[in-house]
Amino acid sequence: MLALFYFAAAIALIATAMALTRANAAHGLIYLIVSLLAVAVVFFLLGAPFAAALEIVIYAGAIMVLFVFVIMMLNLGRSADEEERELLAPRYWLVPGVLAACLLVELAVISFAAPGHSAGIVVSPKAVGLSLYGPYVLAVEIASLLLLAGLVGAYHVGRRFIDRSGGNKS
Amino acid sequence: MSPLATALFGLAVLAGAVGLAAILTWFERRLLGVWQDRYGPNRLGPLGILQVVADMLKLLTKHDWVPPFADRVVFVFAPTAIVVAMLLGFAVVPFGEHLYLLDLNIGLLFFLGMTSLAVYSVLLGGLASNNKYALLGGLRSAAQMVSYEVFMGLSLMGVVMLTGSFSLRDIVLAQQDLWFCIPQVLGLYVFLVAGIAESHRLPFDLPEAEHELTAGFHTEYGGMKFAMFMLGEYLGLILICCMITTVFFGGWLGPWLPGPVWFALKTSLLICFFVLLRAAIPRPRYDQLMSLGWKYMLPLSLFNLVLTGAIALWLRGA
Amino acid sequence: METIASPPPGVTRAPPAAEDLIDRFGADTVQTQHCADGVPTCWVVPERLLAALAYLKPRYPMLLDLFGVDERLREHTPEPASDFSVVYHLVNLKPWREFRLKATTSAASAGLPSATALWPNANWYEREVWDMFGLRFTGHPNLRRILLPPTWQGHALRKEHPARATEMEPFSLDEERQREEQEALLFRPEEWGMDRASADTEFMFLNLGPNHPSVHGVFRIALQLDGEVVIDAVPDIGYHHRGAEKMGERQTWHSYIPYTDRVDYLGGVMNNLAYLMALETLAGVEVPPRAKVIRIMMAELFRISSHLVFYGTFAQDVGQMSPVFYMFADRERLFGIVEAITGGRMHPAWFRLGGVAQDLPEGWQRLVLDFIDSMPERLDHYQKMAMDNSILQQRTRGIGVYSQQEAIDWGITGPSLRATGVDFDLRRDRPYGGYDQFDFNIPIATGGDCYDRAAVRIEEIRESLKIIRQCVDNMPAGPFKSEHRLTTPPPRERMLEDIETLITHFLSVSWGPVVPAGEASFPIEATKGINNYHLISDGGTTSYRTRIRTPSFPALQQIPLISRGLMIPDLIAIIASIDFVMADVDR
Repeated sequence: MLALFYFAAAIALIATAMALTRANAAHGLIYLIVSLLAVAVVFFLLGAPFAAALEIVIYAGAIMVLFVFVIMMLNLGRSADEEERELLAPRYWLVPGVLAACLLVELAVISFAAPGHSAGIVVSPKAVGLSLYGPYVLAVEIASLLLLAGLVGAYHVGRRFIDRSGGNKS
Repeated sequence: MSPLATALFGLAVLAGAVGLAAILTWFERRLLGVWQDRYGPNRLGPLGILQVVADMLKLLTKHDWVPPFADRVVFVFAPTAIVVAMLLGFAVVPFGEHLYLLDLNIGLLFFLGMTSLAVYSVLLGGLASNNKYALLGGLRSAAQMVSYEVFMGLSLMGVVMLTGSFSLRDIVLAQQDLWFCIPQVLGLYVFLVAGIAESHRLPFDLPEAEHELTAGFHTEYGGMKFAMFMLGEYLGLILICCMITTVFFGGWLGPWLPGPVWFALKTSLLICFFVLLRAAIPRPRYDQLMSLGWKYMLPLSLFNLVLTGAIALWLRGA
Repeated sequence: METIASPPPGVTRAPPAAEDLIDRFGADTVQTQHCADGVPTCWVVPERLLAALAYLKPRYPMLLDLFGVDERLREHTPEPASDFSVVYHLVNLKPWREFRLKATTSAASAGLPSATALWPNANWYEREVWDMFGLRFTGHPNLRRILLPPTWQGHALRKEHPARATEMEPFSLDEERQREEQEALLFRPEEWGMDRASADTEFMFLNLGPNHPSVHGVFRIALQLDGEVVIDAVPDIGYHHRGAEKMGERQTWHSYIPYTDRVDYLGGVMNNLAYLMALETLAGVEVPPRAKVIRIMMAELFRISSHLVFYGTFAQDVGQMSPVFYMFADRERLFGIVEAITGGRMHPAWFRLGGVAQDLPEGWQRLVLDFIDSMPERLDHYQKMAMDNSILQQRTRGIGVYSQQEAIDWGITGPSLRATGVDFDLRRDRPYGGYDQFDFNIPIATGGDCYDRAAVRIEEIRESLKIIRQCVDNMPAGPFKSEHRLTTPPPRERMLEDIETLITHFLSVSWGPVVPAGEASFPIEATKGINNYHLISDGGTTSYRTRIRTPSFPALQQIPLISRGLMIPDLIAIIASIDFVMADVDR
């Protein structure tokens, strides 16, 4: 079990690193999807199958699809790859990288300082549902309100009138 | 089952699914022939069934070509995704009371996850081909899949509510008295429509739509890579039919005959129904498909959910 | 000019229109010409051409045809003609009136004024004249080649241009040449006044065709797309061009018949009919009653055949898979009848100058009756399967709409015109070849959309069945070929009487008939609309100029107008509903 966990975690890490360093947006996204799938496996091994399933259905299966969709819409050419390669220069990622490293260190310290959490307890979908619609119902409602507002906003921004009177010589 | 038996059974399921998908290519053409006043492939072997072998040999010996303008790695990877995802989906299907590979407590979600991953094949195929028709096909499929996954998931929630479990085995066992196709008739309807859309078969084959986009996302594909797409499509069809059988038609349940036989019978009838749909119905326009989804299917599935919840609560109270 | 024929019924003789024109513009500007078909024909000086056309437009609202003639080698040249002339064939639908206006010009001159401001469909016709004769039109928005590739040398319908490949140097396509040809085929939006991007989006330019499952042959439409929405479209034709008009100048009058079959290749003998009606008018041949009825029966059979193909492919193009198989099965049965009668299937080439090739075979009634008895029931079945289907209706209703006025402006004829509510059919409104003896209805619709265009054609199948039944019930006895001396091939029995008839027969068979000099055209209601052959004879065994006006050509020109702002699937539905054949467009 433990070996599987480290294996999945390693895949997640490597895939994420690859996703960050790809100049081609589509390739980066594929690595990101792999990373999400690996994280799902980690969730599963940690005893949270419901979270694992949602990770696949929602993140890998829906949100990332939309990302790919956007990339297709933009239909980036080779010039975009060049620009992206520029952005991979150290001066762009050095500061965020250091900050992220700090966070990683902190996370490591916390996890080793306070062992005993994690692994062992399987959280069933029912338990998740009960806690979402029990103690946390207010948070769920607020989140759904926010989403609704986002939906209405997106519809408003996205609406566009198409000029149907073309006029080229033919 | 012992680990060895499980492994063997897993292999059998894989081989069975792939074999069935291959035979289905012939079966569908013969069936369409019956409905369209023509023969279909009837020359090779008994009833023409060896046509499958001929087609396979042809596809295997085709030049394995990648267009020079395509994104090579993604282009080659894309067709495998759908086959892998669909085959994984079979892992949670209970073929009989004791005949299953995995009885996950999130079985239904696992199935949904796998079908949602299958869309990457179409998307990445369309993107990597670097062809305008393929791109349009990929765009269509992204919008179509993301929309229809929503109702596909929602339509199943009524069943989950009645069963109290995501496990497919529990869902079948909960249908001892009454198949869910009666109380969940709305859910069945929505799931059926979403299932056709997910397996992108006519009438919802918009990503492909040969009359509009020549061949849509697989315009540039040929040989085995094309065959993988086709295999994935037929696997998807079988998987969807297996799911409908399991969730709405009582899976292996049935009198006299052994469970797996019932399961196979029900699934085959559903497959015939899907083929009939293909023969009969024209293809809606892309925006019509989307509005059908969001304006009819979504409210319908939500209504089904509310209704099922209310009835379940009422029954529990009574 | 010698002419023999009397004008066909329904056409007013002693054209008052021509006198009007002379009154208005003066006899030094306008001259009349007498044509064998009795259509009022005037020559106008190039300077006053546009004024004369503008004067005629309210009286003759449709530009039926516009074509050029190379007059340089013509012996029986009408008075005002010099190097080249351009012919404007104008019509008024109800009541049916025709007018022909001609203007003379030369290749060296600045050209004639463009009529595109008066009739939008003059655009392609003028491009065709430029392509084929090298005549310029001043004020044309985009005068470029239309049928021949942009790299072509010379102008094909000029008399000095070779008609056979053997008269030209052998064709070879080395790499350099191939690169050039491909380069020439590249679609450049700028040449068509298109922007590559708008304020907020970049357009995609999509080549739909020349090879595409839904363009029914080799036809390219370059699309300017925003997402899947068609911003503009540029139809590109000519991939099916075979020079049918040029061939008319080298084949004898008789041996050209098989070429006509292949113009609208779904129309079969309907094309023979259009050609022979014009030729018989020119030659003054009267067709015996039995031949007339046989011709009508065969033509209507082919109308059904063509409409069945339309019906099936129409359903198929909106994504319905099955109907086309049923309709092709029916068409196959129909071809069985055609084969039994003519020996051919799609291209029987069976009509002859003065009649038909053979008499009907024994037992033909049963074959035909079997077919027409079974069809109505099957059509009901198809109606339920295809036309009543709600998805099909959603896909085609309100899509690709044009108004009556637009249809007339763009020269749309046939079922596509009747779908807009214009109650006009040449078979009834200017009966020819014996159609006045038949009882049938003209189906019309009012929506002018894709669905109505299909619905009208389907009703026409039923009406054609009625006509065929009347043919079977009332088939007259008598000869199947005229006694006229120009009838080809001449009756063999008469050949054997004396040396004189033997010589006549020999000449007529080996050289072909000599048709008196003159001009005639004869519009008929073909499967897809008005088909009109304009034939000019210089008193020889071949035509001096054969002009084929087909209904498909203007219909394709109209595609951009009706598809802007719609989506690609709508465009496919529009293409499916137009019912064109690329050979009919490119000839």
